[in-house]
Amino acid sequence: MVSTYCNRFYSSKPELAARRIEAIGYQVGHQLSERYTMERPRFSDHLEAIKFICKDFWSELFKKQIDNLKTNHRGTFVLQDNRFRWLTRMSVEPTSGNTDASQADSSTSAADNKALPATSMHLYFPCGIIRGALTNLGIPCAVSADMSNLPACSFVIRIKA
Amino acid sequence: MIVCVAVVGHQNNPLYLQSFTNADDALKLHHIVHCSLDVIDDRVNNPKKTGSTLNEAFLGLLYPSENYKAYGYLTNTKVKFIFVTTDLDVKDADVRNFFKRFHSAYVDAVSNPFHVPGKKITSKTFAERTWFDCWLQLSLVGQ
Repeated sequence: MVSTYCNRFYSSKPELAARRIEAIGYQVGHQLSERYTMERPRFSDHLEAIKFICKDFWSELFKKQIDNLKTNHRGTFVLQDNRFRWLTRMSVEPTSGNTDASQADSSTSAADNKALPATSMHLYFPCGIIRGALTNLGIPCAVSADMSNLPACSFVIRIKA
Repeated sequence: MIVCVAVVGHQNNPLYLQSFTNADDALKLHHIVHCSLDVIDDRVNNPKKTGSTLNEAFLGLLYPSENYKAYGYLTNTKVKFIFVTTDLDVKDADVRNFFKRFHSAYVDAVSNPFHVPGKKITSKTFAERTWFDCWLQLSLVGQ
């Protein structure tokens, strides 16, 4: 799905593709949060809702819980997943379609540069899911993702006042 | 029997409102639902109960009037379910069961990718399931 949006629909405008993928994730998160919170009592504060995302919601989606949750107690939460399922199969090799000799000669840093945007595209969808779920629970927020060492990645949630 | 059911969104916008009477008292029923919304707000902002009942989705009897009783249910996503019944002796367990089924019907309805969040529920299946649940409730009470 991600590659279709990036390469076929919006190949010239990656930021538009990212917004579109994020919006799809938002809708999915919005609907899933309604379903997964059916059996539980209402959340009394933000932390409880975030904990729900880390534990139950994440294990429903990825069969594992978030590994680390950090907060500054002022509306910013960092959710760290040490082995994010969608990134475990992600290769850091250069893309196979690129057979140019000069490209093949280039160092691994150039290869990383090629793979990174493609990988970061795959994180817009889970970002959208988290944002959609939290918004539906009454917590408007902004979510961004960070992947410094694959396959670990972290999601930064900033709650809007 | 259940004479009216309603689903109200988190900004108190009506998502689904259906009455099951032949007489033209729909306006009166809608008025009761409207009043119940205020009671829900009151309950949520000033919780009196403690322990396990705190923050529970089921809110219980909201608005008893001479002929009707209104029951409420509030989900995690601040969506309210309300129904108005003419039965005077209703079992709590039956009401909980009803809301549970109602809630799952709602979840299935909003999971439809063509449903726009915050807009009225137009799903035929949802209407049928609601109607069936109300009918089931009626036969349970009749026993």
